[in-house]
Amino acid sequence: MRIERRVERQAPFSIIVEGETLPAYPGETIAAVLIERSPTIGRTASGAARGMFCNMGTCSLCMVTLLPEGRRVRACLTPAEPGLEIGLG
Amino acid sequence: MAERYDLVIVGGGPAGQAAALALEGNGLAIGVIDEQLRPGGQILRQPPREFSVASWMTGKVYAPLLKQLRQFEAATGIDWLGGRSVLGLAPDAGHGFALTVSGRDGVETIRASRVLLATGCQDLAVPLPGWTLPGVYTAGGIQAFVKSQQIVPGNRIVMAGTHPLQLLIAAQIVASGGTVAAVLFAQKRRTMMRQLAGHALKAAREASALLPAGAAMALLQRHRVPVRYGESPVAILGKDRVESLRSTEREIACDAIGLCYGFVPQSALPRMAGADMIAGSRAGGWSTECDAWFRTSVAGLYAAGETTGVAGAAAARTAGTIAGTGIAIDFGLVSEEEATSRVSHARSERARHLEFADLLDTIADPSGHFPRIEAETIVCRCEDVPSATITPLLDGRSANAVKLASRCGMGLCQGRNCEPTLLRLLAGSGRTDEDNGFTARFPARPVMLGDLAAPK
Repeated sequence: MRIERRVERQAPFSIIVEGETLPAYPGETIAAVLIERSPTIGRTASGAARGMFCNMGTCSLCMVTLLPEGRRVRACLTPAEPGLEIGLG
Repeated sequence: MAERYDLVIVGGGPAGQAAALALEGNGLAIGVIDEQLRPGGQILRQPPREFSVASWMTGKVYAPLLKQLRQFEAATGIDWLGGRSVLGLAPDAGHGFALTVSGRDGVETIRASRVLLATGCQDLAVPLPGWTLPGVYTAGGIQAFVKSQQIVPGNRIVMAGTHPLQLLIAAQIVASGGTVAAVLFAQKRRTMMRQLAGHALKAAREASALLPAGAAMALLQRHRVPVRYGESPVAILGKDRVESLRSTEREIACDAIGLCYGFVPQSALPRMAGADMIAGSRAGGWSTECDAWFRTSVAGLYAAGETTGVAGAAAARTAGTIAGTGIAIDFGLVSEEEATSRVSHARSERARHLEFADLLDTIADPSGHFPRIEAETIVCRCEDVPSATITPLLDGRSANAVKLASRCGMGLCQGRNCEPTLLRLLAGSGRTDEDNGFTARFPARPVMLGDLAAPK
């Protein structure tokens, strides 16, 4: 839930997560955009759903893939940018 | 950004800022590296520049920290190197250190004659059945979403653990318009009160630090948020995400949970550098051992703030001032006598903060309150290693040997989450000699192999 009390954001843009178009506000991390969508951001090899954990760059459980370059980044430390395409898992 | 600095400070929180400000204007080339884009550390994790947030962190206890942050941001002659992670540091050929640093676009090397580690702390990760379900976060993780990204990561949140910080986080959630289903303290209320009373003198002198907890309690009462004592989480339930928490007393419907059992120092870099470490707080972990000027056992390497022992932001700030002044001595910029007089105020303030930290540490002590781990409970989240895989290996072998045999600790987090759990399991299995935990390995943070092979 984005807090609206006392907070002003700029006009949103779009990013693409697993083919799904999601709104993102300038300054938001990829983690923030993802968490507004679902707490689930991937699955283990055995198929169990997994989410984020520490939100401070320490646990590395929020690794996502920036497409098409293929760079893996921690979603909690990486700002969303207009047109960004992200793969989960 | 310079390729070589006189001093690199790792961490732009209260300790790192204070050290940089203590050295500003001496003509030294100083760079401050931080994983966040903006300085502040976790205590003042700032909203993005693009947001406009009215009355942010207005509590009285934050005022001195905010003042220092604005001074730091205004300082000239300090290079702010945000959005970067230090993967490792090694002695540089002949002189100082070479830091391997990753950023958004790849890996680079930064050299420094001296390095101050002010890397802070992290939440103690506490396993229990169901804790890998999406929607379970560290308490600090939830707080950072609220403070910085201005997001409440759930519609109905339960806070559970032993650390009083969870009262403040619950209050911040409620003040932001979110809903807290309950705050659960594993310890009994009368035990906490007895500990508080036993430290009455110290508590009275540090009353301002306790006020936020009182204000938080009042706010939670107004919003009818139950705060319960002597109630521990037993299991987290849900199919593909958190649906409820089962405690020792009842089942509570919720879609997010913050686990709050205390904090352990960030120790990857000092351990990798070979600095002497000592056992951390009651919550576990490892603190960097330092002399009175925060020199580590490695020449030219300093550590200040929570990485030398978790004691709170105010204490970290005083440590940064002392460390920065000590570094000035070692650069020959000031006599030891002059330096001693410069930090006398910081030292007396620090002594006071440490007394309060000790009280908080006593009250928040998680030992004896850890939830029971079942055979299928995941201990190592990165490698998905359940406790059933580890139990047969608890035959007297070391943490490193268990890691090799089970993959527990081999994942991307480099064992930061599972090491305290494994060390508790080792101690519980009757292993009596001290285990120094996992050998710290490069890289301290995940990095693409291609970036390492072809640095910028």
